[in-house]
Amino acid sequence: MTDYWRSLGELEGSPEFEAVRHREFLEGAADTPDGISRRTMLGLMGASLSLSGLAACRRPVEKIVPYVQAPEDMLPGIPQRYATTMPFRGNALGLLVVSNEGRPTKIEGNELHPATQGASNAFAQNAIYELYDPDRSRVVLQGGAEKTWADFLTYWKTLHAEHVADAGAGLAIVTEPSTSPTEARLVTLLKQRFSQARVVTWAPLGNENRQAGLRAATGAEIEPVYALDQARVILSLDGDFLQDDPDAIRMTRAYSAGRRDPAAMNRLYVAESTLSITGIAADHRLAIPSGAIAGFTLALATELGKLGVSVAGVSGGGTVFDAKWLSAVAKDLKANAGTSVIIAGAQQPPEVHAAVAALNAALGNAGKTVSYASAGTAARSRVADLQALAGDLKAGKIKTLVMLGGNPAYDAPADLDFATVAAKAANRIRVGLFVDETSAVADWHLPQAHFLESWGDARAIGGPLSVIQPLIEPLFAGHSVIEVLALLESAEEKPGYDLVRETWKPVLGGDFDKRWEKTLHDGVLAGSELAAQSLPAADMSTIAKLASFKAPQGLELVFLPSSVVYDGSASNSAWMQELPEPVSKLTWDNAALISKTDADGLGIHDGDLVTLALGDKSISAAALVLPGQAVGSVGIALGYGRTAAGRAGNGVGFNAYLLRTTKTLGFASGLTVTKAGGTHVLAVTHEHWSQEGRDIVREKDVAGHGHSAAGGHDEHDAHDAHDEHGGHGHPPLVSPWPERTYEEGPQWAMTIDLNSCVGCNACVIACQSENNIPSVGKDQVTRGREMHWIRIDRYFSGRPEAPESIVFQPVPCMHCENAPCEQVCPVAATVHGETGLNEMVYNRCIGTRYCSNNCPYKVRRFNFYNFTKDTPETLQMAYNPDVTVRARGVMEKCSYCVQRLTRATRDAKLGNRDMQDGEARTACQQACPAQAIEFGDIRDPKSRVTASKASPRRYDLLAELNSKPRTSYLSRVRNPNPELSA
Amino acid sequence: MAQIFPERLNNLPLAVGLGAPLGLIGVVALVWYFGSPWYTQVGYQPTQPVPYSHKLHAGDMEINCRYCHAAVETSAVASIPPTQVCMNCHQLAKKDSALLQPIRDSAASQQPMEWVRVHELADYVYFNHASHVHAGVGCVECHGRIDQMEVVKQEKPLSMSWCLDCHRNPGPHLRPPDQVTNMRWAPSAAHDELSAQWISERHIKPPTDCWGCHR
Repeated sequence: MTDYWRSLGELEGSPEFEAVRHREFLEGAADTPDGISRRTMLGLMGASLSLSGLAACRRPVEKIVPYVQAPEDMLPGIPQRYATTMPFRGNALGLLVVSNEGRPTKIEGNELHPATQGASNAFAQNAIYELYDPDRSRVVLQGGAEKTWADFLTYWKTLHAEHVADAGAGLAIVTEPSTSPTEARLVTLLKQRFSQARVVTWAPLGNENRQAGLRAATGAEIEPVYALDQARVILSLDGDFLQDDPDAIRMTRAYSAGRRDPAAMNRLYVAESTLSITGIAADHRLAIPSGAIAGFTLALATELGKLGVSVAGVSGGGTVFDAKWLSAVAKDLKANAGTSVIIAGAQQPPEVHAAVAALNAALGNAGKTVSYASAGTAARSRVADLQALAGDLKAGKIKTLVMLGGNPAYDAPADLDFATVAAKAANRIRVGLFVDETSAVADWHLPQAHFLESWGDARAIGGPLSVIQPLIEPLFAGHSVIEVLALLESAEEKPGYDLVRETWKPVLGGDFDKRWEKTLHDGVLAGSELAAQSLPAADMSTIAKLASFKAPQGLELVFLPSSVVYDGSASNSAWMQELPEPVSKLTWDNAALISKTDADGLGIHDGDLVTLALGDKSISAAALVLPGQAVGSVGIALGYGRTAAGRAGNGVGFNAYLLRTTKTLGFASGLTVTKAGGTHVLAVTHEHWSQEGRDIVREKDVAGHGHSAAGGHDEHDAHDAHDEHGGHGHPPLVSPWPERTYEEGPQWAMTIDLNSCVGCNACVIACQSENNIPSVGKDQVTRGREMHWIRIDRYFSGRPEAPESIVFQPVPCMHCENAPCEQVCPVAATVHGETGLNEMVYNRCIGTRYCSNNCPYKVRRFNFYNFTKDTPETLQMAYNPDVTVRARGVMEKCSYCVQRLTRATRDAKLGNRDMQDGEARTACQQACPAQAIEFGDIRDPKSRVTASKASPRRYDLLAELNSKPRTSYLSRVRNPNPELSA
Repeated sequence: MAQIFPERLNNLPLAVGLGAPLGLIGVVALVWYFGSPWYTQVGYQPTQPVPYSHKLHAGDMEINCRYCHAAVETSAVASIPPTQVCMNCHQLAKKDSALLQPIRDSAASQQPMEWVRVHELADYVYFNHASHVHAGVGCVECHGRIDQMEVVKQEKPLSMSWCLDCHRNPGPHLRPPDQVTNMRWAPSAAHDELSAQWISERHIKPPTDCWGCHR
């Protein structure tokens, strides 16, 4: 059995970790946040009890407030679903939004939309939080004073007349990247009216380099569309396509589909600097600095050239790193020419993307595993445009600056000093969801409408067009970007609905209303996928240009998109801040991620404050030693250290934008790291809920699959975990209690396929949104009080300098048939139901926490504090009305989304029919882009979960305890290259 | 040496000795009773903004329950009618009645009516009307003879033990589905056999698991 570890503390057996692992709840977990001890608390309670006396014995009077005129097709108590679209990093995610009595409460993927195919990601789930964020801007502001929309109209009409007179000279508009046809149409109209005006698109993270690379290689404005399900060999060069790519949902789905059949499994190679979830998924990973990827790519091209792939113009060179690795990858790519694919990360320079496009063409992959679609009319971020604008602002050439969305004052490259130069414009108008850093620069701030509040449209990667349909009237009288653009252009107000329909009239043609309604209903315009173009003769000479990249010397700093707050736009979401970053398991912070070797060399430990200096700029940040980080590379997530994000995001983490310049948007060399003295508390969750080294993650090689132990990591026979015995040499298991039989009704069960799971976190947030789970804050997380009902454990094996294998394992409640928690509850607050669920009854629970102590899987969460008491009114609107909001002092845990099961069972019964397999789905299952979770009735021999449970890879956690969990796992299968594993 | 305690306190130990246990028993009894299923809101009869008479509408005029409580067959809630439903009739009938002024105001101003909830369950109870109606539990079983009430009051305890009485033995409370809203329906002599037949035909198996109602 391989030894797995989750943190360096665990591996080294540090005293801190030893202290943590022996306790169910961390030391001090029972203390109140302001440090009042239990004893003081009891004293205070005694006093207040005698004071409260016998006040208020009667129940409060409750009012029922019906509609005046009921909306059509709507019955109270029955949620509705509407299709809409979320604009997402230059992609469009088709969503199905659940609305309860007019309140959008839950996001699901739209099965008809190619970008989501029914799944979603953490950011899409978070849209609900963002919509109801209590810190959203609510009023029009001028110079900080409250104004009305009418005031702004008057103001703009005067300014508009001035700009009509000077043809827009001195008018500049900064927008966010967008694929909206309506926005493109309005920008065209605007440029017609103001011929001198400039429209600049900016986002701190984007695919500008990829676009530029493809332009260099082919001369065309195209974007790649990957078909990973067709790929047998995938090589990612510093590209986290399972997490950061705008198309990650679709790519994850396709990637996981390619790993489902162990006999025909894809193989993933990753060369990257900072460990990513893609790197964790990899069969072979090479940790090299981001700055070395260009050299590595050249070496790969050279190697491929030797194998007979026509890479004209390449005459050796490049940095080899591991010759064996390189030759194995090259051979595999060549052997699978036409069914292989190379993907480069967004932070890599255009030359790498051009070379990758050329290599894909040379390998015959173009048109097969990667096709190219026209980039269309999309507005894309261009740093050169922003740089030019900053220059003109500085020179005083810009009179009116309009900033539509985004947050350039915070996230523009540091050398542009955007906040300072923007202030030089006489008229500064800002439209934003929040009064943030950029609003502080602006004179006028206008509240922006959220996408769930406004009409719009968007185009997904590869072409699918869809409409953004509002779910709710703007909560704070906001206006959408297209409405503001129309106003800027014509000085007249036009409703977004009319603007979008005007764009779509020529698109839909005859029978407009009928086709419009069908598009709204389906959430995507049928047949709108652009015809994929095959690569127009890639220019092979681009590969040789990589020779100009020098192998990096010294340390480099890599600017990473945060997996939780992205570029800082999700900073004020307590859901996202508290979501453990998938790889480091860090919450409520970012950190300078550094390799064990470098950290040892510099004498740095977790939580030490370090100074990161690049040239004349430096910031202070906490360091975190990350196993698998490339030596010579330090990674830091962007999007932290905000000063005007709101109550959740202010002052969280360290602002890496201060080091990022126009020349070093991806990574920068010449970094110096020095200890700054002092430490910073990092709320890392990977030591919480320790499994004490028990055998709970299992993986095998393809070669060992289906055989007993040959060639595999795992010495257990695949079948032994769920037979009568607890494993090899274990006596038969008997229950000390009479065991219950489950012979009627649906018997719910779940399987989680570790081979599909990529650890992306979509399930965690989907569960949080569905089940009204509170966020508890950094201080509480450090005390081990995070409340997530499903956690994703991440296990390393091997040396921390170069982990052999890393596995993700999502752990919800196991719903044991012989549940240990039930045996110890003194008040029967956790009991078993007829459908096999382990039921947690909040109104019975008295908070002894015995159940949690006795749970071998550590899945129970206790409300140490009244986390939901001060929930702002707007956020209360996000609550799922079908789930109780828990108060202080009660235990809670995964319920298999019992409210969904009840609804599905009842709907079938009301319809006098049998429930179909797949009708009852849990929130985690529905959100999962990898389809790693199966759920259903194990009494139904034809259900998908029954089939999944019959898999030879299936095992149950700690089966030797005879707890008979209903949640089972399918072991991970690796597909190593025999050349490398030997 | 002066006495610390005056003579009038001589009976204090006795008073405390007798009073304290009695007081304690009193507190226990109060908590025992008020926290128990015997303490219910039976008889709760709040005043509504409009003195709507179920006796007149449902009783004398025999308007079906579902005309106003339209969601009762499909949703968890029976639904209180929108103002518009009242106005469907009352823009013609009794259109000048002073008692109906709040309804007319609501329709004119588009401000909803605020009715007082009579049958109130705890927030952690997820009762579903549709399931019960579908199973053939009559309205009268939980709400009493609404058709005879001038002002609606709570007639049944609505306590958990009362719910469970029926969930454990649903037979006596069942009726043919088309008689659910009939307040005057009475079981026949052969009800036991009939109800046993309904239970098997309609797959009636009321949950007694906690998560059947609480979650």
